[in-house]
Amino acid sequence: MRSAMRVLLLAVVVLGLAVTGWAAESTLEKINRTGVFTVGARTGSPPFAYINKQNEWVGFSVDLAKLVHKNIEKKLGKSVKFELKESAPATRIPLLSSMAVDLISGTMTDTRPRRDSVDFSITFFVTGAQFLVKEGSPIKGIQDTAGKRVGAQQGSTNERIIRERVPQAQLVVFPDQPAGFTALVQGRVDTYTNDGIQLAGIKAKAPNPAEWKIVGDFYSYEPYGMAMRKNDSDFRAVVNNALMEAIEGGEYFKLYDKWFGPKGELPYPLTDDVKRFLTYQVVPK
Amino acid sequence: MPLTGFLGIQYDFQWSVLWTGENGRWLLQGIWTTLRLSTLAWIVAWVLGILSGALRTVPFWPLRTLVTFYVEFFRNVPLLVWLFFWYFGAPQFLPRTAQDWLNLHGPEFWSAVVGLSVYHGARMSEVIRAGIQSIPKTLLEASVATGLSVGQAYRLIIIPIALRLIVPPATNESLNLLKNSSLALTIGVAELTFMSRQIETYTAKAFEALTAGTLIYLVMCLGIASVMGQVERYFRIPGLIARVGRAEH
Repeated sequence: MRSAMRVLLLAVVVLGLAVTGWAAESTLEKINRTGVFTVGARTGSPPFAYINKQNEWVGFSVDLAKLVHKNIEKKLGKSVKFELKESAPATRIPLLSSMAVDLISGTMTDTRPRRDSVDFSITFFVTGAQFLVKEGSPIKGIQDTAGKRVGAQQGSTNERIIRERVPQAQLVVFPDQPAGFTALVQGRVDTYTNDGIQLAGIKAKAPNPAEWKIVGDFYSYEPYGMAMRKNDSDFRAVVNNALMEAIEGGEYFKLYDKWFGPKGELPYPLTDDVKRFLTYQVVPK
Repeated sequence: MPLTGFLGIQYDFQWSVLWTGENGRWLLQGIWTTLRLSTLAWIVAWVLGILSGALRTVPFWPLRTLVTFYVEFFRNVPLLVWLFFWYFGAPQFLPRTAQDWLNLHGPEFWSAVVGLSVYHGARMSEVIRAGIQSIPKTLLEASVATGLSVGQAYRLIIIPIALRLIVPPATNESLNLLKNSSLALTIGVAELTFMSRQIETYTAKAFEALTAGTLIYLVMCLGIASVMGQVERYFRIPGLIARVGRAEH
């Protein structure tokens, strides 16, 4: 019994040491060793990342992650496998920390508290929070939500802003988008709030899109960035350079048009402000 | 406290996020909601369980069939589906004014109470039926022979013995109910798991928030298990169920 314990203890120590050595490697070293670049993305967040009718995992942020993949291959000088893994808002940071994924590419807003836990790439998409209401609703913006039942998504920054700015609103928080929209359809809440682009996605997918209206000015600023493990600036440079080259070379705008253009999955025109902002993020060669 | 290398995770644990700012209050609110939801659902589930469990053993087939239908229907549909049904679906059948009234009185919480108690009532019913049926038929016959009616025999003899027999499986069921109450977050009830996730959202400290949630569930469950152990010891009838010794929890 005693010696069995000792063997077990030794095994734990050895395992611990092995694991420590492995954890100390950088993301690029890990990709080089395993030959796989793993990206965390959503499966139900069109047009950023979703499973389409042909059962393929596609989307704007998937395409951008593929650009990063190309840049990693260039940097390492060898071909690397590209793999996608489902990552929900609640699991994405643990997935990164546990090395299960190397990059989160989805609809994650870059915020200061999140920067304590992960590093972000440059901003690749800009939106802001608005409200989805039934045609004819008295709600026209955040100023009308006091005393109303407002549905929101857990894990979103807008939930927090409503809580702070309109404490009289009755906030009902749902873990995912479909539940929030169903509550709106069934009249359990008066309005559903989320990033404007997400609302546009819901509206486009609704059985009768004309029944729903997106109202209000942006009451929050939501810059989407790709997230990665902290303190790994070599990898971060590879990610950022891929995005900067895409913006500079125009490939970014081609992809934007593919997904958000007039003929795209979800028309959402790029404003001049945002276009200028994106190009100003590109630092000189 | 930087912790590098444990299970291959490079992570800087900051346990203070659990009590700084509003987070501590949120956790307490979450615990309170979980306890309120589980206790209410637990009481209703017991009432439904005892009623339907007893009715499934009575010698009158229409009642048995009705109750069997309730049990099989409710325990064989996933709880998550029931929660969605009671929250999104059921209120549709009410008149508009009743819906408006409900919307002002926390429909999330009450839908969750109904969903949990009806589902666990059906499961509890099976536990109680098993307890009753483990009592030899001759005991009912003997009770009736002493002049008690069937109803009296059930109330005074069969159910009191059955209730003692089923304490361990009922404890199990109660713990399940407490843990299943976390599913209520899917319909927007701000219970303990919801609040842990909320703290994770606000602070991006997933490990701390979820570990705290897990430990709180563990403590609550151990608490229930030990109380039920006490109950089992307190109510045991000496000599009747000799094989029931001290419960180990």
